[in-house]
Amino acid sequence: MIYRVHHRTTYAYDAPVAFTQCVLRLTPQSSARQTVLDHRVTVTPKPAQTQRRAGPFDESQTAIVVEAPHSKLVIDAASRVDVHAPSLRNPEESPAWEIVRDRAFETGALGVASPATYLYPTVRTPIAAPITDYARESFAAGRPVVAAAGELMRRIRADFAYESGSTSIATPSIEAFEARHGVCQDFANIMIGALRGLGLPAAYVSGYLRTTPPPGKPRLEGADATHAWVQLWCGPSLGWIGLDPTNALFALDDHIILAVGRDYGDVAPIEGVMLASGAQTLKVEVDVKPEPEAAVLRPAFGASA
Amino acid sequence: MPPPEAATRRQGDLPAGAAARLAGWLRGYRPLPGTPDELMDAAGRPRDYWLNFLGELAEYPESEFASRFTLATRHIRDTGVSYRIYGEENERSWPLNPLPLILGEAEWRQIETGMAQRMRLMEALLADLYGEASLLAEGALPASALTGSPDFIAAMRGVRPQGGRWLQLYAADIGRGPDGRWWVIDDRAQAPSGAGYALENRLVLSRAYPSTYNAMNVQRLAAFFDGMRKGLADAGERAEPRICLLSPGPFSETYFEQAHLARYLGFLLVEGDDLVVRDERVYVRTIDGLKRADVILRRVDADFIDPLELNSASHLGVPGLVGAVRAGGVALLNMPGSGVLESKALLGFLPRLARRLLGEELMMPNVATWWCGQAAEREWVESQLDQLVIAPAFDGPGADGVNATPQMLDDLTADQRAAFLQRFRDRPADFVGQEVVRLSTTPVLRGAVLEPSPFVLRVYATVTPDGIMVMPGGFCRTSDRTDVRAISMGADVHTADVWMIAERPVERVTLLPSNDEVSARRIIGHLPSRAADNLYWLGRYLERAEATLRLVRGLCTSLMDSEAALHTAGETLARLLQLLIAWGALDEDAFDLTALAAAREALHDSDALGSVANLVRSARRTASSMRERLSADFWTLLLDLEASLAERPGAAPSESEALQRAEAALRTLASLSGLAQENMNRGAGWRFLDMGRRVERAVNTCRVVRTLAHAEATVDDLDLVLDLIDSQITYRARYLVGVAMTPVRDMVMLDPFNPRSVAFQVAAMKAHLAALPSLLEDGMMERPNRILLPIAAQLEASDAAGLDEEAVLAIEQTLLRLSSAVSDRYFLQGANAAPTVKMSGLG
Repeated sequence: MIYRVHHRTTYAYDAPVAFTQCVLRLTPQSSARQTVLDHRVTVTPKPAQTQRRAGPFDESQTAIVVEAPHSKLVIDAASRVDVHAPSLRNPEESPAWEIVRDRAFETGALGVASPATYLYPTVRTPIAAPITDYARESFAAGRPVVAAAGELMRRIRADFAYESGSTSIATPSIEAFEARHGVCQDFANIMIGALRGLGLPAAYVSGYLRTTPPPGKPRLEGADATHAWVQLWCGPSLGWIGLDPTNALFALDDHIILAVGRDYGDVAPIEGVMLASGAQTLKVEVDVKPEPEAAVLRPAFGASA
Repeated sequence: MPPPEAATRRQGDLPAGAAARLAGWLRGYRPLPGTPDELMDAAGRPRDYWLNFLGELAEYPESEFASRFTLATRHIRDTGVSYRIYGEENERSWPLNPLPLILGEAEWRQIETGMAQRMRLMEALLADLYGEASLLAEGALPASALTGSPDFIAAMRGVRPQGGRWLQLYAADIGRGPDGRWWVIDDRAQAPSGAGYALENRLVLSRAYPSTYNAMNVQRLAAFFDGMRKGLADAGERAEPRICLLSPGPFSETYFEQAHLARYLGFLLVEGDDLVVRDERVYVRTIDGLKRADVILRRVDADFIDPLELNSASHLGVPGLVGAVRAGGVALLNMPGSGVLESKALLGFLPRLARRLLGEELMMPNVATWWCGQAAEREWVESQLDQLVIAPAFDGPGADGVNATPQMLDDLTADQRAAFLQRFRDRPADFVGQEVVRLSTTPVLRGAVLEPSPFVLRVYATVTPDGIMVMPGGFCRTSDRTDVRAISMGADVHTADVWMIAERPVERVTLLPSNDEVSARRIIGHLPSRAADNLYWLGRYLERAEATLRLVRGLCTSLMDSEAALHTAGETLARLLQLLIAWGALDEDAFDLTALAAAREALHDSDALGSVANLVRSARRTASSMRERLSADFWTLLLDLEASLAERPGAAPSESEALQRAEAALRTLASLSGLAQENMNRGAGWRFLDMGRRVERAVNTCRVVRTLAHAEATVDDLDLVLDLIDSQITYRARYLVGVAMTPVRDMVMLDPFNPRSVAFQVAAMKAHLAALPSLLEDGMMERPNRILLPIAAQLEASDAAGLDEEAVLAIEQTLLRLSSAVSDRYFLQGANAAPTVKMSGLG
């Protein structure tokens, strides 16, 4: 499935800003499951410096410095992405979760794809006994890891209410857990804390969902903004599997990945500082449309297709 | 070489009283059972060097011994070698033991070689972990033993540090084990603290017992710090690098230690706001614009150094710093990511890693530690749960506060134990088990009794251009409790100096470089904007305090002088009160107060922000954040002044006492100005201190003139003006006719020869601004000058007769605009350097 993604962020300032320096993580991930066909970031006013580089999580970063005084900053990211996620195998045939856990702690691999990177609590995704105990109900001894995680994901969807605006980026996951409500990132944080509490490697994913559902399918929550979900490492042969607790869905062709990290802090789409004295207002618009398949010549994917 | 006299002293040579005292100490001294001790050897005999020291100590009469130590401590603390201020502003203050920890040459050699080897190992380990990671590929180390540490900084992978190394200063907490060897309890590689305290403790003890210290061949510390400075300089790209110490700021627990080190080493003490990154290089904001920072000694934890790439919630960092490090645009030491070495999870791997990386056996063993992230270790720890100390394997965010500090499971309640066991079984990798060891004790004096106390010794190693150097001393902490683990929690902790005794006399190290290394310099670097800001405000606070004191003095004298007393009920008094209220020295309702009560409140009231006590306090606070720029005398006077203004409970002063206090405070302020005038280098720093004073004085004088020398002023009013402006004597010498409006206004506003006149302040400001650097490249005049020059000309050309209240008000307002133009131009918080604000980018 090929998507056209348009992600526009507008900052409006009460007083002119003399200087802005930021890191943008707005380039979709290039991986076996998705190919970036086209990508462009446009910043207005024009930055004095722009630098592209790979970040510590292999995410593609754009570092910009705006030196002209401005009272509005518009960051426009436009991408064409071909998503071709491998289909899900039978969850009941995955390895027992304890085996996956032990393999993750034993690995000598150190890097963004290594499960070892995603085993420990962070400030935003802490481990808390009540959350771990909640997860334990789905993880009976010897249960296949994908089946258990799938059940946990569906329980979160069933037990927690999606309430837009009910939490902020700073809400601790235990608060959202106890209140039994939140938005996509709360669900992701809770599920990551739950999995890591049991010693399983879980990562935070930022990305997009298609805005309009296919005919006859319901509209997904979080489709008009950037979305967040979870990846779980399921052993060396299955690798990383995406789980979206907000929609109780395995993340397949409807999910476009921007970046993957230990928590939101590693993948925040825009991180920056500016020299300013007034207040700021922020507007984010996201539009994700599938291209009519017939109109597009699909490139050959070689071995990864 | 004959041994020095003291080394041959034995109990028998001591005078009878001293010998009895020494014998008493030793007789009562009982090392803890099964625990090695520093004073007594395994056979229960006191070691020679301890005997020498205690013998010398016993010779001081009891009272003198105590007073020597107390005096030395107070002297050091007060004169500002230490900056600790009586437990204020988060500064943790540990009392110092009168006895040092004394170690012989053999101990020192063991520590020196062990530490040097360990630092080599740590450096090699970091280079591999952040480089090729071959240790992981080979299976010598699982990745999860690293990733649990918040100081494993993924962004540092593949980075080649400028200067070629990861570590500048490395420390370890050690103790002597039952086998007589030194054991490592903890590694400190992020930004080890305490070296400054070691220096301070040394100063106290060497002053308390100078002859003992000199006779005992105690190894000196200066060479170590000199080596560290040279090592840092060596890491820079340029021949004469600018070296900064990056501090988290005055709210850091060890801020005063950082300030002390910066001054001792001659580094610029900076906070995140002082630095900016441009084009992947780091610069200091100074009044001359941006100046390159070549080398940064880091005291900010890695996660906080760059809000752009690392923890975005940090206010302590420098946006872009990680990028500059990656590009090799700055040497940042210790490198971010070094803190990963502090994880207890790594301890158990070190013997194997030493063999693998250095081809050597580890000379200083660790306290036996098993990381439960591995199956065999986990099973062992589980089988020994009640015999081991259970500690967090990493410094990361603990869960639920369970087991956040090392503990024995015995100490837990049943519920806590159950919760712990669940956590342990879910995530064993979060924990290590450690052997309980009885580390050695060292003698401390409790009253007149000598007792053994557990201790932890922090030792330091640094990189110099000639290789690794270990500090022949250290930072020792002792505990009043018998459990050594209490020390890391900071409970009942004392510190002690550490004397490493050489067998041969030590050379007095002179830090004087040879002549051809040094060329004469008259200007010292560029003044950082933050320092300029602080100095300017220090000047303003001191001047405001002085002006307020003069008003208080006016109140007091009006009470006592029988003629002036007539006015206490009159308008002059009301105007005095009005000024004090306008300056915030008194509350709004102070009009009802008697003159005496008003004087008392304006002096001492801690609620009124403008009271003299509070102004002096603000001055002292401002000064304390730039202690490295002020002389010890200046600091001591300021502390004295603050102490003299502290409210004395219950004792309401009489008129004459209040007057006495005000006059004493004025004299201290005069000494402070004298010190600034006579002892401060005439660099930009002095100019800012003086400008603050001048602006404040000029503005205050305008206000006094508007309030008291207005069109309907009485003779009393004008008389008071002359008092307040300190111009009585000059006036009477010049004018025999008595006080009259025009000459008074001329004298306080326009007279260029009167150092208290507004014109004099403006002329001084003009000279300062002319001497300060200009940043404008377009040939235009900078804004402070554009504001100042017209009023300077106006004051030179004016005639006092035409100087009405409106004209004075206009001058006053211009001066206030000048002050904000000065801060905009030169300081961090001005309009040209607005504060950095976080952007939030959540969609």
